[in-house]
Amino acid sequence: MAKSTRPARAEPFFWLLFTAGGGVSAFLFPAHIVILGIAWAAGWLPDDALSYDRIVGLVQNPLTKLYLFVLVVLPLFHAAHRIRYGIRHELRVEENKHVVASACYGAAFVGTALTASILLRI
Amino acid sequence: MPEGTVALKVARYRPERAPTPYFDDFEIPYRDDMVVLDALNYIKDDVDGSLTYRWSCRMGVCGSCGMMVNGEPRLTCAVFLRDFRPGPVVVEPLRYFPVIRDLVVDISQFLEKLKLVKPWILRDEEKPVSEGEYLQTPEEVEAYKQFSMCINCMLCYAACPVFGLDDDFIGPAAIALAHRYNLDSRDQGRAERRAIIGVEWGAWDCTFVGECSVACPKHVDPAVAIQRTKLDLATAALKSVLWPFGGSR
Amino acid sequence: MRTEERQRTPVFVRKVRRFWWLDTVPFRRFVLRELTSVFVAVYSVILLLFLLALSRGREAYEGFLRWLDLPGIVVLHVVILAAVLYHTVTSIQLASQIQEVRLGGKVLPRTFLAAGLAAGWVVASAVVAYLHVWR
Repeated sequence: MAKSTRPARAEPFFWLLFTAGGGVSAFLFPAHIVILGIAWAAGWLPDDALSYDRIVGLVQNPLTKLYLFVLVVLPLFHAAHRIRYGIRHELRVEENKHVVASACYGAAFVGTALTASILLRI
Repeated sequence: MPEGTVALKVARYRPERAPTPYFDDFEIPYRDDMVVLDALNYIKDDVDGSLTYRWSCRMGVCGSCGMMVNGEPRLTCAVFLRDFRPGPVVVEPLRYFPVIRDLVVDISQFLEKLKLVKPWILRDEEKPVSEGEYLQTPEEVEAYKQFSMCINCMLCYAACPVFGLDDDFIGPAAIALAHRYNLDSRDQGRAERRAIIGVEWGAWDCTFVGECSVACPKHVDPAVAIQRTKLDLATAALKSVLWPFGGSR
Repeated sequence: MRTEERQRTPVFVRKVRRFWWLDTVPFRRFVLRELTSVFVAVYSVILLLFLLALSRGREAYEGFLRWLDLPGIVVLHVVILAAVLYHTVTSIQLASQIQEVRLGGKVLPRTFLAAGLAAGWVVASAVVAYLHVWR
């Protein structure tokens, strides 16, 4: 078998990020989606629930920033991992597998940097 | 007493006659208690002696008779024809393996992979015989028992699309068996097996489709073994980064 | 150790269909499960845009709220919600398979952990709602 016998050094960490991101999105996304994306437009929320002053006040709390960082970033790595394998196994793009993986995780890293810089500015 | 007949469509591959596989149709006497293997044996005994296939125990413990029955990986000794009457029951060689002849596939690569994961008790130091046996409590046996039930039938490989796309993938049974030994209280080879399975074409290629566990006739649940293996590999990797001192077991 | 000349007989390698996952219901369900990750990524981006608008000040933020009011955007969120809920359900199913729960030496059936995780999801959603809307 001519395959490399080198241990895959990065895979464990991307898998951990994938698993954590899966948990974060599974448990926390539905509530956020309903509140921000449906309830607000439907008029089910109190009038000032999403007011600028109130939300800025909430977000400026460092704990909230930490929560939001995790909420946005980990699901990006979850998606990057699944999309990487989806491209290879489901779309059958089997060439350049390291380029595809780097592009997927790279996009997640870019998202991480953007999230951090935006949260720091609030 | 035969109770009518049943139709079978059996894949043939005879390279000395034709370069590609084809199907032969058979109509054979049917009994209510017949399994697919019985049908193949009848065909070989009474209709076409050239039909080539593997079988042995005919009771689901040897793992020899794995084939595709109506598109699903099954042990032919365990599939009753009465579930498929009138047929035709389509019998093909185990999917994702190269075909040597008729229903016989090349399993040499699987056997190599099996050896690779060292599916035996690994010890830093063997206990001398004079010290007696390794003792295990019933709980210690329970910990790995499920994964020890593997009969190496390779139905899980035939069910795994990742293996179908890349036959480098070490595959469900190999990882499940490595896991079985890692869980064995007598074994001390976990770290050694981590290095073997922690390669790209080891546990990481798996995307938890889960069909391997559905296909397994012995309820080994290789899918779960693989995910637990990934967890073990990942926590070991974390530990080696956060606490690089001392060996891991 | 015995070494032997392996006689190579001609073997036939069967081709795998390009989109193998069209073949069976379990495979198609698997692809649906994996597809939810695209919607997860989309929602992360929407959250990022929400935070970006917030960081740009009152006008930008209120513009974002008006964008959320658009009926097409609400429909988008409904679609994303459906996908993410399927992701939640399958994640709980998978987690309850991987993680063993022991009570008094016996392994509990998987449905116990699944129910526990589902309850955890309800609690987490309630906490998020409370903090986001009423606090």
